[in-house]
Amino acid sequence: MKLKKEFFEFFSDIRIDTEANALREKREILVNDIKSKMPQILKDHDINITQSDIRTIDQGSYKYNTTIKSDVVDRDVAVIVSMCTDDMGDPRKFKSYLRDSIDIPSRTVSIKEPCVRASYHDHGIENLHIDLPLYAQIGSDFYLSRGKTNSSNYSWEDADPDGLNKYLCGKINGNDQLRRIICFIKKWRDEKYANANNDHEIPPSIGLTILACKLFSPQSDNEGDADLLALQKTMKAILNEFIVSKTITGEIMSAEISCPLPVRPYTDTFKKMKNSSDSYMIKFYNSLSRAVADLTDAINVESPHDAGVYVQKVLGNDFPIPQKEASYASTRNYREHSFG
Amino acid sequence: MSIREILESYDKITIDQEIVDGIFIFSLFGKQYLYIAPLEDNPSAMAVIFLYNDDGSDIPHIMLKEETFPGVDCIPQGKYRPVCLYEQESIVGAIMPYDAKVRDAIERLIELLSMNEIEKEREFQKEFMFYWNGNSDSHNTHNVYLDQNDSFSEFDVYYGNKSVRLVKRGIQLSDIDDRDKKGRIWTHHVENNAYYIPITDKRGILPPYRGHNWTTQTIKDIVYSEQIEHIDQHTFQVLKNTFPNTQNIIIVFGMELEKIHISFAVKIKCKNIRNHSLLEKIVDDTIDIEQLFTIRKDYYYLCEQIGNDCGLLGKNVLLIGGGSLGSYIAFELVKNGASNLKIYDGDNLEDVNVLRWAYGGIGKGSNKAIALTTMLKSIHPEINIVGINKNINQDSLLIELSFADMIVITVGSSNEQLNINRILVEAGCSIPVIYIWLEEGGINSHILFADYRHAGCFECLYTDIDGNLVNNRARKNTLSISETSIIRNGCGGTRASYGTAVLLRTTSVLLDTIHKFYDGQITQNVLIDISPNCVKISDTPFPMRECNCCGNKKDQSMY
Repeated sequence: MKLKKEFFEFFSDIRIDTEANALREKREILVNDIKSKMPQILKDHDINITQSDIRTIDQGSYKYNTTIKSDVVDRDVAVIVSMCTDDMGDPRKFKSYLRDSIDIPSRTVSIKEPCVRASYHDHGIENLHIDLPLYAQIGSDFYLSRGKTNSSNYSWEDADPDGLNKYLCGKINGNDQLRRIICFIKKWRDEKYANANNDHEIPPSIGLTILACKLFSPQSDNEGDADLLALQKTMKAILNEFIVSKTITGEIMSAEISCPLPVRPYTDTFKKMKNSSDSYMIKFYNSLSRAVADLTDAINVESPHDAGVYVQKVLGNDFPIPQKEASYASTRNYREHSFG
Repeated sequence: MSIREILESYDKITIDQEIVDGIFIFSLFGKQYLYIAPLEDNPSAMAVIFLYNDDGSDIPHIMLKEETFPGVDCIPQGKYRPVCLYEQESIVGAIMPYDAKVRDAIERLIELLSMNEIEKEREFQKEFMFYWNGNSDSHNTHNVYLDQNDSFSEFDVYYGNKSVRLVKRGIQLSDIDDRDKKGRIWTHHVENNAYYIPITDKRGILPPYRGHNWTTQTIKDIVYSEQIEHIDQHTFQVLKNTFPNTQNIIIVFGMELEKIHISFAVKIKCKNIRNHSLLEKIVDDTIDIEQLFTIRKDYYYLCEQIGNDCGLLGKNVLLIGGGSLGSYIAFELVKNGASNLKIYDGDNLEDVNVLRWAYGGIGKGSNKAIALTTMLKSIHPEINIVGINKNINQDSLLIELSFADMIVITVGSSNEQLNINRILVEAGCSIPVIYIWLEEGGINSHILFADYRHAGCFECLYTDIDGNLVNNRARKNTLSISETSIIRNGCGGTRASYGTAVLLRTTSVLLDTIHKFYDGQITQNVLIDISPNCVKISDTPFPMRECNCCGNKKDQSMY
């Protein structure tokens, strides 16, 4: 299979395999602030929680080791508070208590629908945020605090954060090709949606990751893993998950894909995208179709150079294109091999 | 095809001007280039390309200096920067057809200009030290002495006349206390704490080049990055726990680029705040930085640069015998990583020996071990040679056994070899021992590799199948050759004639043997026969279970 070296190089170039020192330090400070300040803030609101009732777990790409380079570092850390049912109250208020525990000048704190976000800026530009989904743990049950500060739409949503981690780690850990394919799909997403104006326009990482885990097609030959083929087959399988309606003239009227969480509450990970605009799903489908077509062309063409050009259309300009064979061959026979 | 036709065959190229035959200005990707075709009457000549009236700050391999063409009126006035298209000596121009040379330069230029950001980053990194030292602010050269690439380290700083030595603590430089007429050559300065920080992830780290100078933020981004962990967690923790006691600091960064390690030093000027950790100084206190012209000079690095086998690095080697063969072997051992060498020899270097002494006439009249010590130390200040002006005896051999990692025996006398062998066997020597000897006449030589934990010792070669002691069975010379190759000096002394080719040949095989041992290819004791035509495992029966030294007295199951 072509482009093995190029896929390997590209993966090395885009992946983040370790939590960087500054990020780790900021996360540790943030978690310490939560554990040290939140119990008192809750106590001021007649909720008795001790430090030992609060725990944090890693979530998202850093947990699954599928992080890729991006302009803004995005870190997910779930905050789980053990409490009794009577203490749960209004989830929006609970999130405001979490916000208050971490609201200091060195970070900007905001309440998002599914989490509290701590953002960090460098010279006025956000370069890092840590999202803190807040869970209430009642016995062995978990509930995610949902809703913005003044939104009328809020709830404690049934959830299973540990179960989701277990599911995805179980799929990804020990399967290096799957891990790479997830990173490539995320890179494709970042390239195609680089100019997106709205978060809901962009296919969510969690949806793409679960789809890739479910539909992953491992591919190898006698020279090892064949990532080009695995990427093409996995993306094609995702494409085939779409239900598409077309007009008589072939114009796409609607495109829909669903990907429920594999654990409670089993909600569709593309729900927000679907609910925001039909056009978002059509764009997603069209972009994916184009990517599958380009990857198919990359597989079918003979020249590694031409294959690289097709893959670059999918994964962006950073994907290395092998030298044209003609130019390589023209100098190959004239290379110096002797030393004095 | 003419050169013009070849250039015009590229859609992306527009010829702006044909200055004279073979010299063009053309446009490509929005910039102009001067193209000088290879001279047809010089078979090794290649095409040369210059970037015209543009500083090429975003293109790798554009030379820093501008070129002028004095006296060449036909070339338009302007700024010309050479484009470095070829690695030095990478192409055999003399065998390349002329058209191919013309095309090759163009193809390389197009490839260079078509690179994506990551490819450009790699190309800039390839020439990191060129850009770093080319943009350095310092008048002094900073010579770095490390003994590894991967761990945080502290340096001692020594100032000389025009250079500064940054010496990792623990490294002893034999010339650091040397003096000249003005006094000490190297003065230990304590006003700058200096540290080595290895970079483990080099992504995004570019050298300073035109318009992209390093700033305090660049240093901060390396040690305190939020996305790419440029320095590992252990180093980061050490930075937090290290408290410099000086206001300014010198940092030497290390980075691996395509199997080559580079080091570059930067002086960091800080606010005068006490009790700040090294990390706090770098992240919070830095006011300004100064790029320092840096050259890595340590023995470890130089060995790495020439592709030395690292098996010998850091090993203590005992060399018994510093005669002709010993002098060649000592020289090569030191150049191959054995920087800790102890040499025993009681003889003096005589006139008659100098033509087969590795250093010629230097040290004539003095003890061979001492002469070797003086010469070998001059190779590099980290080389630690101890010369002992006597032949080794049982007591000293047993003492040395506890310090050495390998023994190399180059004494030619069978009596001495057998005696040493006996002592080592009886002492239960557990380190590798290599016997090397030449036969008279300069044809045959031998190497016996012995690890006494395995079957076989030097005395096996002097033992027949009945267990009787006989002359060396590995000998290839006949008695008549032996007689004609002995030079008698008329007063009872004799000298074997053998020239120097056998010395070089045998030394070379010894280096291969040591390499094979450290590479795990030698797993049992082995006798090697060396001749001008062949190097082979000897057909002499070895080891001998009937040997009275290692065989009959030992566990027979070893045989």
